[in-house]
This record gives sequence, C-alpha cells and structure tokens, in this order.
Amino acid sequence: MESSTSPPASTGPSTPTTGPASRRSRAGAGLSPLKRFLTLREGSIVVVTIITFVYFAATTPHFLTGANFKTLLPYFAPFAIIAAGQVFVMTLGEIDLSIGAMYLWTPFLFWKLVTSAHFPLVLAVIVSLIVAALLGAVSGYLIAYIGIPSFVTTLGMLFVLDGVTLIVSHSEQVTTPGTSVTHVGTFASILGGGTYSELIWAIGIVIVLQALLSSTRWGLYTVAVGSNKIGSAEAGIHTKLVIVRNFMLCATTAGFVGLLEAIRTSTASPDPSGSNTVLLQAIAAVIIGGTLMTGGAGTVVGALIGALFLGILNDGLVIKGVNANYEDLYLGLAILIAMLVNIYIARVRKGAGRG
Amino acid sequence: MAELEYGGEKIIGPGRADDDVLRLEHISKRFGATQALRDVNVHLRKGEVLALLGDNGAGKSTLIKILSGFHKPDGGTMWLKGGAYTPKNVDDARRQGIDTVFQDLALVDELSVFHNLFLHRERLYSPLPFLNNRVMRREARKRLDEIGINIPSLDVPVARLSGGQRQAIAVARAIASESEIILLDEPLAAMGAKEGAMILDLIARLKAETSISMILILHNYAHVFASCDRVSLIQNGVVSFDRPTAETSPDELNEIVVEEYRRARAAAQGQLTS
Ligand SMILES: Nc1ncnc2c1ncn2[C@@H]1O[C@H](COP(=O)(O)OP(=O)(O)OP(=O)(O)O)[C@@H](O)[C@H]1O
Ligand SMILES: [Mg+2]
Repeated sequence: MESSTSPPASTGPSTPTTGPASRRSRAGAGLSPLKRFLTLREGSIVVVTIITFVYFAATTPHFLTGANFKTLLPYFAPFAIIAAGQVFVMTLGEIDLSIGAMYLWTPFLFWKLVTSAHFPLVLAVIVSLIVAALLGAVSGYLIAYIGIPSFVTTLGMLFVLDGVTLIVSHSEQVTTPGTSVTHVGTFASILGGGTYSELIWAIGIVIVLQALLSSTRWGLYTVAVGSNKIGSAEAGIHTKLVIVRNFMLCATTAGFVGLLEAIRTSTASPDPSGSNTVLLQAIAAVIIGGTLMTGGAGTVVGALIGALFLGILNDGLVIKGVNANYEDLYLGLAILIAMLVNIYIARVRKGAGRG
Repeated sequence: MAELEYGGEKIIGPGRADDDVLRLEHISKRFGATQALRDVNVHLRKGEVLALLGDNGAGKSTLIKILSGFHKPDGGTMWLKGGAYTPKNVDDARRQGIDTVFQDLALVDELSVFHNLFLHRERLYSPLPFLNNRVMRREARKRLDEIGINIPSLDVPVARLSGGQRQAIAVARAIASESEIILLDEPLAAMGAKEGAMILDLIARLKAETSISMILILHNYAHVFASCDRVSLIQNGVVSFDRPTAETSPDELNEIVVEEYRRARAAAQGQLTS
C-alpha cells in the first residue's frame, strides 16, 4: 500500500507502526539505501526541497538566519495544513476547489459570530469550524449522492462563499476578534498569533492526518474508493460516506487555516483573488508532494514537504531580491521542474519494482 | 419442478426441496431500458453446488448481485433458511451468511494483498482505531497456505499479481468469512489450467468437508459436470432449464444453447429484412 509508506516519524509515537518500516525494508531488499529512499512516494520531493534549500543557503547570505526562518513560517505552515485536508479529497480522485473560499469566508463567520451574535471567542471558533464541516458535507453530498462532479460542485461552492464573504463584509476589511495589533493574548497566541503557533498546528495536524490516512480504516477506505469505487462498494464499503466525510475534513482544515491566518495578521480581508492563490498553492503542494491526481494514492507528509518546497522557493526568491515581476515566472518553472523530477523518480521506482 | 410455457418460451417455475437454504421466486430487475431479469426462480439446497449458465448479458451477474445485497430486486421474493431474505446491503447479506466473489473481483489495485484479503473486515488494535497489519498479514499467510495459493509477497499491491492470483485472493476472501452460502461469479475467468484446477479443487474440498452451499457461474461444461450437482440456465432474464447434472449431458446443454443462437440469428435476420 503506497500511502502507508510514509516515514515512520510521521505516524507519531501513538501509532503502531509495525508495518511501514519493516515492510519497506523487505520490499526494497536488494536496493541501495538511496534508491530505497527514492522509492518512497515522498522521496523525490524531499530531494528537490533539499536541493532548493542548499541552493538558497549557498547563494543568499540572509537565508540561513533565525529571522528568515520566522519569515518562512507563514509561507509554509498554513499551506501544509490546508494541503493535508486536500490530500484526502485528491486521494479519492476528486478535487476541492472551494478550500480558498472556505479559508476566506470562515474568519468573517467568526467575526460575525463574535461581534453580532456575541459568542465567546472559543465557542465562535468551534461553531465556525462546525459550519465549515457542514459546508464540506453539502459539497460531499452533491458529489457522492447526486453525482455532480467535484470540480463543478466545489467551483460553485467557491463562488457562493466568495459572494457571501463580500456581502457579509461589505467588501471591507475587519479586525479579527480576540486580537490586537499591540498585544498577543493567550487566545491569539495559541490560534495562530504566536510565532510558532502555526508551525506547531501544522506538524500536529500532519501527524494526525498521516496516521489517519495510513493506519486507520478511514484512510484505507479513502485509498480503496479512490482506486476502485465499484469494487469498494461490492466489498461492503459505504463509499458515499467515505466521500462525504473526506470533503468535511478538507473543508474543516481550510476553515481552520483561515482562522489561524486571520488571527495571526489581526485582520481579515475580503479578497477573493488572494484566496484563489491559497487554493492553487495548496493544490500544487499536494501534487508536488506525490499524491496522485487520479486517486488511489496520497501522502500527507509529502504535501507538507511540498508546501515547504513552495515556501522556501517563495521566501528564497524574495530574499534573493528577484524582481517581483519575475517571481511568478520562476515559481511556475520551479513547479514544472519539480514535477518532472517527480515523474522521473517515479519511473525509477517502477523500474525498481515498486508502484 | 414445474416447466411452464409462456408463448412458446420455457420458464422454470418456483421449485423447492425440503433442505433448501435459499429460495428465489419471480425475481425481476430492470436497468433503465434493459430488463435484465424478468421472472427468475432458483432454489439452492444445503451443501449443494449449483451451476448457473447463460449467454453474455443473460442476467447471471445481476442475479448474483441481488443475492449478495448489492442490488435490490424490483419484484419477487427471497427466502433464506425459511425466513424472508431482504438484505439491506452487502454487509447485511454477509452477516446473514452469504458471501460473494464478484465478477470484477472487487479488489483494490493500490492496496496490498493482505489489505485486500481483509478489505472491510480489517483487524484493529482494539480499542484503538489503528489497523493491526501484523495480525492481518499473519492470518492472510495462513489462509492462503491453507488453500494452497502461492503468493510470494503479501505486501505487494494486487495490481502486480496475475489474473489467477487475483482471482484466488478474491475467492480466499469470500470463503474465509465462514458463510453458509458462497456465490462465485466466473471464478475461473482469467485463470490458467493449473490455477483453475486449484480453484476447482478448493470447491471440491469445501463441498466434501463443509456444508457450504454454492452458486457458481461457469462457462465451461467440463467444469460444470466435474464440480456441480445441478445446473440452471438463464436465457432472456428467466431460468429456462434446471436439472441435476447427473440427469443431463454437455450435449443436451449444447443443444439448448445452439437453439438459442439459431433463434437469435433468425430474429436478427427478421429485423434486417423487415
Ligand atoms: N448497473 C447496470 N446498469 C445498467 N445496465 C446493467 C447494469 N448491470 C447489468 N446491466 C445490463 O443487464 C443485463 C444483464 O447483465 P449481467 O451482467 O447480469 O449479465 P451476465 O449474464 O452476467 O453477462 P456476462 O456473462 O457477460 O457476465 C445486460 O444487458 C447488462 O448490460
Ligand atoms: Mg456477469
């Protein structure tokens, strides 16, 4: 099972990982350690990320500094979380285009709940996340039960949520409740405001979701439905339920990242074009990380590393002082090159007798 | 067993035996414009191996899928061991003792051999929700050894296996569930002679050592007469022939099928000329 071939570290201490490590060494017996590493689904993006990192570290004096590390975090941690949710949808062979809009809309819901309905902060966070999950359930229902393609369903959801956001906010930026520009309280420092808050959330969520994907029925059925939907149903798996709950998970992570970012920056801006960038970067992280767009195989850890790669690239280009007009061009080329390397290594993997 | 004639067409009426475990009467099923089953009557005795024959598209798989809880019949009645049988889904049917090897095998290419063997029957580290791969791998090895299937590694994705090995895994999964009734939809498809013989041996052993009843969809008459107690033929969505294998012969079956072709050809030509 490919999705279980994640580094053991990623599945966390609480996960019984009798499998991955021992199994892999058996399956990869006879290969050099390097080749064996490259046969991991995440192997190639790890290599690409390290090369990128070394390149910037060697050519840019300010890259390897603590200050820059802090600058890098917001370039990467939020995408890692949002991509982790998307992995569950893309492993099904589906796609959720509404994650950016969910990211945009959830802080405004949170803001409304606190300012208009006078919810306490924590309760407002919880209710906001529940609403995100329910909206994910609506998409999932339309896809699994009614049969509307996920591309169309979530595109509709994208515009609906963008629209609602503009209406609710009157197209104006708002101050995120529970934050202030001058002082970071406990609430804010835990939920995105603290320097390492997003990083800790990202690592925690990635560990939990990778364990979910590779070590539980939920994950096994996600791979099964993504690989053979009819066969899964014949085996007795409730395939529609699997689809709905993965869309709920994906929507919830997107909403959660929206809240973290709104709290970190103390403001929420109703800017749909910004949220579309979030969507595209998250999808890029998932695919670069090694999840198959056609479904049947996915990796949360890979998506995290994919997000790290994009973060390093974004940050590195800024520090290098690349003309802002060239940034997108370089980013696009780098993504294409990373994918080429991925595919090349996937061939090596096939040649080595591993799918 | 009543043989009824409807407009020149033979339909086997509802039949029964005292030791029936399963009985289907007047089952019908339509998919859009296709009437896959019109009026199917089938019964299965305890420990019996029933061969289900029929042309491509005759409705054999549809019948199996209704029995397995995958499809709901449009009409008709089913009894399991004397009680009404209305499976809500595949799980429900399995709980009631009916397990199935589907024609498409219901294997997940990306998953390992042992995960496929335990698909939707996983072992967990209860009360934790984590998959107990060690136990599943060990039990998978034991089961495959027991039925004599040689699969070198349980960790490879089943996409890597031969058609016969895949078939064997699907069969192993169905017989491991301690069902009383096993439905096998073309279990010998995609198999070489050696692998096919292995599956037939397995069926013979199950028949000799257990009281499991089986319905087999087969195409090869040699297999039918070697392994089955009785044979039912589906034509045009009805059972048109039903007889113990001891009382019929490959020639007789051939005769019926050739006749069906002749009529189909005549009908096709009639359409062309009119
Ligand atoms: N899910 C479905 N949707 C629409 N039509 C279907 C469906 N399943 C079966 N049919 C149709 O019902 C008829 C009977 O199909 P079925 O699969 O039961 O035949 P079969 O006897 O198993 O054939 P084969 O020997 O080719 O497996 C065919 O005309 C088929 O096209
Ligand atoms: Mg069939």
